[in-house]
Amino acid sequence: MASTKASKEQKYDRQLRLWGDHGQETLENAHVCLINATATGTEILKNLVLPGIGAFTIVDGHTVTGEDVGNNFFLSKDSIGKNRAQAATELLQELNSDVSGNFVEEGPDKLLDNDSEFFHRFTIVIGVQLPESTCLRLGSVLCSASVPFLVCKTYGLIGYMRLVVQEHTVIESHPDNALEDLRLDQPYAEFQNHIKSYDLDSMEKKDHSHTPWIIIVAKYLEKWLSEHNGQPPKNYKEKEAFRQLIREGIRKNENGVPEDEENFEEAIKNVNTALNPTKIPSAVEDIFNSEQCKNITAQSPSFWVMLRAVKEFVHNEGNGSLPVRGTIPDMIADSQKFINLQNVYREKAMQDAAAVSKHVESLLQSVGKVWPESIPEKDIKLFCKNASFLRVVRCRSLAEEYSVDTVNKDEITSCMDSPDSEMVFYLMLRAVDRFYQQHSRYPGVYNYQVEEDISKLKVCVNSLLQEYINICFLFIHLFCIFGRYICSNLSLRFILGSAAQEAIKIISHQFVPFNNTFLYNAMSQTSATLSL
Amino acid sequence: GWATPRPQGPLADSISTCKVLVVGAGGIGCELLKNLVLTGFKNIEVIDLDTIDVSNLNRQFLFQKKHVGKSKAQVAKESALQFCPSANITAYHDSIMNPEYNVEFFRKFMLVMNALDNRAARNHVNRMCLAADIPLIESGTAGYLGQVTVIKKGMTECYECQPKPAQKTFPGCTIRNTPSEPIHCIVWAKYLFNQLFGEEDADQEVSPDTADPEAAWNPEETAARATASDKDGDIKRVSTKEWARSTGYDSVKLFNKLFKDDIMYLLTMDKLWKKRKAPTPLDWHQLENSGMLSASPGLKDQQVLDVWGYCQLFQHSVETLRSQLQEKGEGAELVWDKDDPPAMDFVTAAANLRMHIFSMNMKSRFDVKSMAGNIIPAIATTNAVIAGLIVLEGLKILSGELESCRTIFLNKCPNLRKKLLVPCVLDPPSANCYVCASKPEVTVKLNVHKTMVLTLQDKIVKERFGMVAPDVQIEDGKGTILISSEEGETEGNNNKFLSDFGIRNGSRLQADDFLQDYTLLINVLHVEDLERDVEFEVVGEAPDKAPPPQTNQEEVNSITNGNKDSAQPSTSSKAVRRDLVLCQKLSSQADRCAQQISPE
Repeated sequence: MASTKASKEQKYDRQLRLWGDHGQETLENAHVCLINATATGTEILKNLVLPGIGAFTIVDGHTVTGEDVGNNFFLSKDSIGKNRAQAATELLQELNSDVSGNFVEEGPDKLLDNDSEFFHRFTIVIGVQLPESTCLRLGSVLCSASVPFLVCKTYGLIGYMRLVVQEHTVIESHPDNALEDLRLDQPYAEFQNHIKSYDLDSMEKKDHSHTPWIIIVAKYLEKWLSEHNGQPPKNYKEKEAFRQLIREGIRKNENGVPEDEENFEEAIKNVNTALNPTKIPSAVEDIFNSEQCKNITAQSPSFWVMLRAVKEFVHNEGNGSLPVRGTIPDMIADSQKFINLQNVYREKAMQDAAAVSKHVESLLQSVGKVWPESIPEKDIKLFCKNASFLRVVRCRSLAEEYSVDTVNKDEITSCMDSPDSEMVFYLMLRAVDRFYQQHSRYPGVYNYQVEEDISKLKVCVNSLLQEYINICFLFIHLFCIFGRYICSNLSLRFILGSAAQEAIKIISHQFVPFNNTFLYNAMSQTSATLSL
Repeated sequence: GWATPRPQGPLADSISTCKVLVVGAGGIGCELLKNLVLTGFKNIEVIDLDTIDVSNLNRQFLFQKKHVGKSKAQVAKESALQFCPSANITAYHDSIMNPEYNVEFFRKFMLVMNALDNRAARNHVNRMCLAADIPLIESGTAGYLGQVTVIKKGMTECYECQPKPAQKTFPGCTIRNTPSEPIHCIVWAKYLFNQLFGEEDADQEVSPDTADPEAAWNPEETAARATASDKDGDIKRVSTKEWARSTGYDSVKLFNKLFKDDIMYLLTMDKLWKKRKAPTPLDWHQLENSGMLSASPGLKDQQVLDVWGYCQLFQHSVETLRSQLQEKGEGAELVWDKDDPPAMDFVTAAANLRMHIFSMNMKSRFDVKSMAGNIIPAIATTNAVIAGLIVLEGLKILSGELESCRTIFLNKCPNLRKKLLVPCVLDPPSANCYVCASKPEVTVKLNVHKTMVLTLQDKIVKERFGMVAPDVQIEDGKGTILISSEEGETEGNNNKFLSDFGIRNGSRLQADDFLQDYTLLINVLHVEDLERDVEFEVVGEAPDKAPPPQTNQEEVNSITNGNKDSAQPSTSSKAVRRDLVLCQKLSSQADRCAQQISPE
């Protein structure tokens, strides 16, 4: 029973405030694949079903055991003996009737054998507790199909997440302290005309104290520039002098006492940010220079087409600047003046977006894409509005990470300089993977095996380290830690539920995901992101 | 399969035998209950006074659509039991501030875990846990941000050790006469809802305030003023509700009174408009005939309509609310709820019309809802992580490792040091905390000739100092009882001034809350000149101020969870939404901590 739009709006109200209608829409169109409905796996999926992904498919060849039921909230006693994908789907489906739940009663290896294209259909694949060989195999299949892959593991008190995505583009990165885009240092013609329409000296008192601070700064900047050979205030001393210049503009009453003009106070307070020179952020410059931006083909995703169009804009109409963002902050002003000013910015932003749109059109034409194949106007507007905040995340592949030739030795050795680094746990997890591959079981599951397994695992650690780096103390350190942790108990799967958060970032193309490995150590409650 | 065994040995024993209390069965509470039963906790009590709403379903996974309207605590218990039938869960559909839950009740537990959404209850549970000497785990989330900490009497800071920005309340004159920010109009519109359809409250007056000290009008002008709005004279004598009822809730009449006559009346208080931009009255018939085109039909949450659009929304919502009221029968009242569409429509329309009148930029329904409902974005993932961390802290406490407990901040993205979770060492109790110090004491600036006993009781002792049922006596050698928690004993004092009881500069008052087992000594500092509309000030604390600018916004500096965060939800603002779960850890502080801590 699907919900209507209005009832969805009500149900999802609290999250729409984070990622907006369009973010929700991408979520509702997403099809997520979970491999292995373990406690961690179902926890992650629960956090995706609740906010309303379109569909999920659980891939799992295991049969539910008593142990599963004991630690998995989404498996019940009567599901013992059933296929785990089916049992978990039934209970997870109950959480949200707007989500379509599917399951496949087979393990990922079998599926890869029979139909490797099976996984191409998903928006993202989340693999939980997969052996190394399966990870590598699936990783390469997904890579070729450009499907993001999130690998999750919990082991004792260590949690591990690895994002594998060749290229992930983010339009709305939602930076925390973004500077406003006001162009006070290089006012465009329409803005200049608007500034001219104000005459602070001849204004009535009420109008004077309701003039937006942007106009005030612009006016006094004009004055400053004319007195300083066209050089804006640069250092602290000059900025202080500029503030004083503005301060002197505050009207005085008949006794010579300055009036209470909050808009002037606001102008003075904002001098620093207002004088920030308009420039293209280096992160955006970098992606302008990437191959995907240079070589637009008929296959180029719309992100790159729009990026290239913006680049063209910068070199032509933009005179070296990005399209105007078109928003101004709230400020003290009467409605009319504020709206007028806002419109000046908004209209310029629309003009710029229209120019970018033209570039998009000719770019598409140049690669043989003609109407009706185009990019919607609203997407181009959103892109232009976020032009300063565009991000591209590129993760190394698992094959690169694991191969002796391409392993990131620098990152590993630099982390090893500090003995408390979470890197130890990464290496330990890798050693455990190796152990599993050799012995087809995990070490130390039963108490009687511990002694024996420690030496077996030692062999794995040793071989791994010889491939990468040879640090003797580390080996001993690891050995000790190992004995202590392998039998440790509480699962931290609850915390790995946050993998769902990363999945949402990937699906919605909003916010910047981590790159590329996240480790959590529940003993010390520390976490780290590593680039491997 | 992959083994994830549960704790073993003595820890496992204490997990299965100990009794724990979960306060709140909302976003964090649901996750916490699940984690607790999966970790092997057997004896769990959960309390929540709230019922389930549709907007909870995106994260509170123990609830389903069919449960809307039912008790959160009860349904959470039933759902958790379905998954883990062996647990022994007790649910209370009740307020934790109810006197039944006394110190004895708290002493039953090894551990109390807060999963609350408002400061009043957090303050109260903090005090109860201090009084019972039970460790408390406090938590909160806002969007992607979250925080967990541990409070233990004598060892750590308590919830109230660090002063928090005061809950912002708006002076009556600002709301009634001179709104300058959209929130003032939104608060006004919510008051108006209650005046027209809900429970009338003398503190929520919406008509022009003739006693505004700033207007300081000349009584001789009264006559002139009265004629400026002849209808107004009538309204003064009957309540807004009675008048509205007498018109049969005629939306046009209501409109013209609220947005034309009252505004014209305000215009006559010309002193107010010397330095401010004067409001512009609206007239229904003029607007109707002005040929303005309304925005597209079917309200889209995020768009801002034009004036006529809000006029129509006003009319439509008044009609809907009128029939709702009629259906309920004689003497019925409606309760404002941000998630009730007609109530929200009404506030959106009325607030926007007032914003327009006072030359402010109008806001979309979506934004008005955020402000009116004090909405904090909430998602499943953050709550899940925080609830996981609560259990980990709980296990440390049960293992007797209190010294290894931490305050943990959850960031939106990995910070500059690539940390998503930032642990900080717990600070020791603050020596001058007015709650957990051995002899709590505080100094309050007020005017003894203008402060009534009722104000002392409601605004200072209850609201500001968080007492639930206070007794206050004067340390005058006679122990004069000023306020008694027994009903009917001191009501006669309510409307007398403090000076009537001989209270003057330097007087000391002893306030007691029997339930909280808490005594506070209040030193009175008499001052004549407090700012307009300020009734009192606590010495050593800055009055309402915006939170300090964040130096590094990647760190959480204040976290909250919930939307009912004030004794008066109607007077909420941005400042209120930033309620802190705990002591305000400034970003730099969290940073510094992060550097100090290395994994053990």
